[in-house]
Amino acid sequence: MKRRSFLIGSLGTLVAFIGTGATIYGALPVIPKRPMPGTDDALGWIAHQEGRFLLTLPRIEMGQNIATALKQIACTELEVAWDKVDVAFHDSDLARVRSTVGSESIMLFAEPLAQACASLRDALRRGVRQGLVSAEPRAKEQLKTFARHGKIGRTAEIVQGREIVTGKALYASDIRRPGMLFGRVLRAPALAEYASKPLSWNAEAARAIPGFVAIVKDCGPDIGNAKGLGIIAERPGVLDRVVEVLNVVWQTEEPTTEFSSDAPVDVDRRPLEEMPSNVVLNGRPEPGPWNVDLKLSIPFAAHGAIEPRAAVAEWMHGKLTVWAGTQDVFFIRDCLADAFSVAVEAVRVQSCRVGGSFGGKTICTVEAEAATLSRAAGAPVKVQWTRAQELASAFHRPPSSHRVRARIADGQVSDWDHRQVSSHILFTSAVVPNLMQQATDAFIGDGGVARGMAVPYVFPRARAAYDLVRLPVHTGPWRGLGAGPNGLVIESAIDEAALAAGADPLAFRLAHINDSRLAAVVEAVGEMSAWETWKRPENEIKVGRGIACGIYKEVSYAAVVAEVEVAPDGRTRVREFWCAHDCGLVINPDQVKAQCEGNLMWSVGFVLHDHLPMERSRIVAETFVDAPIPRMEDTPRMNVELIESAKPPAGAGETVMACGPGAIANAIRAATGIRPTRFPVRTA
Amino acid sequence: MQYVLNGAIADVPSEWHDESLLFVLREYHGLVGAKFGCGVGICGACTVIVDGMATRSCQVQTAELTPTTQVLTIEGLEVNGKLHPVQEAWLAHAVPQCGYCQSGQIMSAVALLADGDRADATASSDAILSAMNDNLCRCGTYQRIRDAVRDLIEAG
Ligand code: FES
Ligand code: FES
Repeated sequence: MKRRSFLIGSLGTLVAFIGTGATIYGALPVIPKRPMPGTDDALGWIAHQEGRFLLTLPRIEMGQNIATALKQIACTELEVAWDKVDVAFHDSDLARVRSTVGSESIMLFAEPLAQACASLRDALRRGVRQGLVSAEPRAKEQLKTFARHGKIGRTAEIVQGREIVTGKALYASDIRRPGMLFGRVLRAPALAEYASKPLSWNAEAARAIPGFVAIVKDCGPDIGNAKGLGIIAERPGVLDRVVEVLNVVWQTEEPTTEFSSDAPVDVDRRPLEEMPSNVVLNGRPEPGPWNVDLKLSIPFAAHGAIEPRAAVAEWMHGKLTVWAGTQDVFFIRDCLADAFSVAVEAVRVQSCRVGGSFGGKTICTVEAEAATLSRAAGAPVKVQWTRAQELASAFHRPPSSHRVRARIADGQVSDWDHRQVSSHILFTSAVVPNLMQQATDAFIGDGGVARGMAVPYVFPRARAAYDLVRLPVHTGPWRGLGAGPNGLVIESAIDEAALAAGADPLAFRLAHINDSRLAAVVEAVGEMSAWETWKRPENEIKVGRGIACGIYKEVSYAAVVAEVEVAPDGRTRVREFWCAHDCGLVINPDQVKAQCEGNLMWSVGFVLHDHLPMERSRIVAETFVDAPIPRMEDTPRMNVELIESAKPPAGAGETVMACGPGAIANAIRAATGIRPTRFPVRTA
Repeated sequence: MQYVLNGAIADVPSEWHDESLLFVLREYHGLVGAKFGCGVGICGACTVIVDGMATRSCQVQTAELTPTTQVLTIEGLEVNGKLHPVQEAWLAHAVPQCGYCQSGQIMSAVALLADGDRADATASSDAILSAMNDNLCRCGTYQRIRDAVRDLIEAG
């Protein structure tokens, strides 16, 4: 109890100290840097000592099992046994590597790592035992990785698998420090863009709770325009009890612009004669009637990672250490240095295993909260968001509204027009202020919204364009970015076009594909699922199959067939999936399949579950019941086959998002005769 | 107060009595295998076994434990360096992606398999679903979990 009286005694100064710091927070955004990894950087990832090697992962491990794949590359090039290489997570003292996003890890890091390991191996063979090794880059074909030797193309024991099944793998929230306290930063129950701040609270009642330590005013960088009120306690459960009695009165700026939470974006707001501002495909469809004309609405969705974001922060002698579950420790380090006006050298951010990210753990929030509270407390502080905070204060998948039209001539699509309105993904309002965003809107658009909007088909006159809308709700990257929504829209429309043309949907797609790798996955999935010979069973349950395909970031290919049943009460269930996937050279086939399985489950969620209820001024979802994710009962049998080749390795973490949702929607259409246009599809 | 944690008597000082079992395990005993996912009994990430039953530790008040309450956590599954068959099956099927839910998944599976009536091979699909359906996994590892548990049930 000593600590408590000390902190209460110093509460006055503590508030003033934090108060003066508050004005400097976040005047200009810190922009994430994205350096390309090279062999020289890679030499910093691998070290040798007395017959053992240490691989410092240049990537964040968040479930893609990238640690395993990179270790396979290292063992292969070093020509050493699996147990000779230890693996460590990096911190921000490593030479900067780009954030772990966009399914890039193997695509961009395999070769530099292989080059570095090969250089180290050769140096060791020459008898070098000390000092730095310099890079001796060689032709890619001479690397064992790209010749598929050693451990490449095989299953390997998952790095940290044993730690996970014994409960020993450490996530940010598992870090414990001597004298550590627990913190939470409360914010108004309002959308992030509305200016809000705490007006009053019952400090007296809080102080009466055993284990209460302090209240921290003017607490850390704002999230959007929401100012926080920090609380610190000796034990985590005390935080809930303090919140209950604190009775914070919030002042929230009344929204000036009307925001409709039912239809936050609407593609039909702009007349069809007008072109949206950002053009992805600039073909010129001819005027005339259309054979297909669909409007699809995709709602807000949360990431739903089971790990709510967490950080432990500790100030010592003016230096800050933070243990974080983030996709980019360098960006977090830069944000913290900026927020607290210290040199970047004074901040060290240690990456921990992340309990699921899916694009959502890319910005600095909980880390700054922990750092602020730790500075105020003069002790290490752990902050883990509650599930309700995760839903209220994180950014989400943007809603998007699509209108897609297709015309058929001589049994082929001749004209195509896809228009979209969405809020931001890459230039997320969670980081980019309004004025700067207006500039990016005008000059760059948003590549995240555009992702996957270019059709993978050859259509003579194809147009695709979008408008961006800044919403009071923060939106941003979500697994696959635009590829999920755009893929669902494109694959729904081409399915309708096939129906209108009286053609088989698989054959109709092939007739519009001139990319041999895309054609190959479509053919493969057709064979796997016996597409041609399958007959709808003769019983009262509505059953149907749908197919879809897609290309992710121009480098990875997938096609999916879904079989769906719709019960008389409307309950919709995916019974089976077949998936063919081609991401070029495969390091670990089993884990590429695991990524496909994960994306197939995300596809189930996309069509049948994902949404985030909100009212005009706040997100009302607080639990997984309000913002549901798929469960085991929603899990069909999943059959995944990989088309392996010597093509450059590409990503596998998101590819299936481009076609999984479309396959399900098309299967529902086949089962019921009804084209799903509003998501999630209400199943009962 | 006392209870039995992974076979040994554990003491909890009074200031921790108001905390949930989850936080006592994690922050007092330092057994961080059970995870905080929702704090309201919905996700299953905090699942441990209390007196033979898969139990959401975030919903257990520590004050309610008694000297005879047996709590088994994932840290207690390994015996003399030998993994529990469920842990072995999880590795054999390469189940974990991010892994955050897996401690809870494994404890639910351990409880199912320890219950001879429920883990009857003839009813395995229904039993697996009713035992595992409330353990959420956002990475989507359900197929591998289902296969791993089915293998274990079939192996008896
Ligand atoms: S944390 Fe206990 S059920 Fe979610
Ligand atoms: S493995 Fe990531 S939540 Fe289950």
